[in-house]
Amino acid sequence: MTAPASTGTRTWQWGALGVLVVLLLGAATRFLEKGVPAWFEGSALAKAIEFPIYAIALGLLGNAVLTAAGLRDRLADGFRTEFFIKTGLVLLGASINLKVIVTAAGPAIIQGVVLISTVFLFTWWLGGRLGLDDKLRALLSAAVSICGVSAAIAAAGAVQARREQLAYSASLVIAFALPSIFILPALASLLGLSPQVAGAWIGGNIDTTAAVTAAGTIVGENALAIATIVKVTQNALIGIVTIALTAWFAFRIERRPDAPRPGPAELWRRFPKFVLGFVAASVIATWWLTTVSADHGKQVIGVANDLRTWFLILAFVSIGLEFRVSSLREAGWRPVSVFAAATVVNVVVALALALLLFSDFTAD
Amino acid sequence: MNRQEPPESRTAFNEDWAATILGLVLLVLVLVGVIPPGLVP
Repeated sequence: MTAPASTGTRTWQWGALGVLVVLLLGAATRFLEKGVPAWFEGSALAKAIEFPIYAIALGLLGNAVLTAAGLRDRLADGFRTEFFIKTGLVLLGASINLKVIVTAAGPAIIQGVVLISTVFLFTWWLGGRLGLDDKLRALLSAAVSICGVSAAIAAAGAVQARREQLAYSASLVIAFALPSIFILPALASLLGLSPQVAGAWIGGNIDTTAAVTAAGTIVGENALAIATIVKVTQNALIGIVTIALTAWFAFRIERRPDAPRPGPAELWRRFPKFVLGFVAASVIATWWLTTVSADHGKQVIGVANDLRTWFLILAFVSIGLEFRVSSLREAGWRPVSVFAAATVVNVVVALALALLLFSDFTAD
Repeated sequence: MNRQEPPESRTAFNEDWAATILGLVLLVLVLVGVIPPGLVP
């Protein structure tokens, strides 16, 4: 009986060491974020580089070093991207006035429903044309249309996909999200998009929530707020999509008439609970700000923003640490082509919807 | 993310609640002044 216990302890210790690595790289990111503009005073480039860039770069560097040392897989339990990003997003809710969330919710839901349906069906259709397995098609469609890795995990459960199919889909999400963190803000600036439209475009288009936050941060605070609301809305729609997928696979693809019908309990189980934390933080902060002076309020919310930045840095570092090229090579060219084509469709449809729904957006 | 997680990962759902609770607790600590300005590097 002692062997499993000691293995468990060892796993726990490796996980804790993994968290320590993330924290050290996070501290280095914060150091660079504050230090570089001071060291290169007057350089526009040094000022323009935002913390997500340092965090992801240091994460990838750490990834290379730990992989070479043969330690990366042991420490991987500590690279908790999802936990860090969700905590950061709950804290982000504190800096978004409730009125902005309420005003943006309508267009965000319309954008989410139209975008998810269009991109999901296109990816499903193209995957079929290229002869992909139905389960992999479902995973890729969910990942590219909703919100990346969490959608792929939820869809994998819904259609009972194989583990390696989940690994391909997750790697594809990260491989496409990393460059879009830099490309979309650059394109938004080139196209002269307003912060609201740029935010809605980024939130609707980039697959992982962490990457959306990174790209939104690069564009600016207003874009980050809208990008987050749009992305969080898509996150909230995961439950509906996975339930539809579960039912579709059970009754239409696998033709199991005896399969149990998913109900409201399943919908709640699939609902990403951090969305509630995000809204609750906005409610608490919006109310609290009415009880204190503007100056004091700004100073205190600034502390919450600093904490939020820390959690986002830890999430971006973890993204860099988790990235793996090998499972992409194993996937072969067809899933990559399907994902690439779906991403292009996603970019175009999301831009059209963002322009249509958020051009006149104002919460005043 | 690329770890071989089982498709029905319970951790992902527990992480959701953990993140929600930690985020809100930190916010309340900031608002009541337990974490004062200048403490977070």
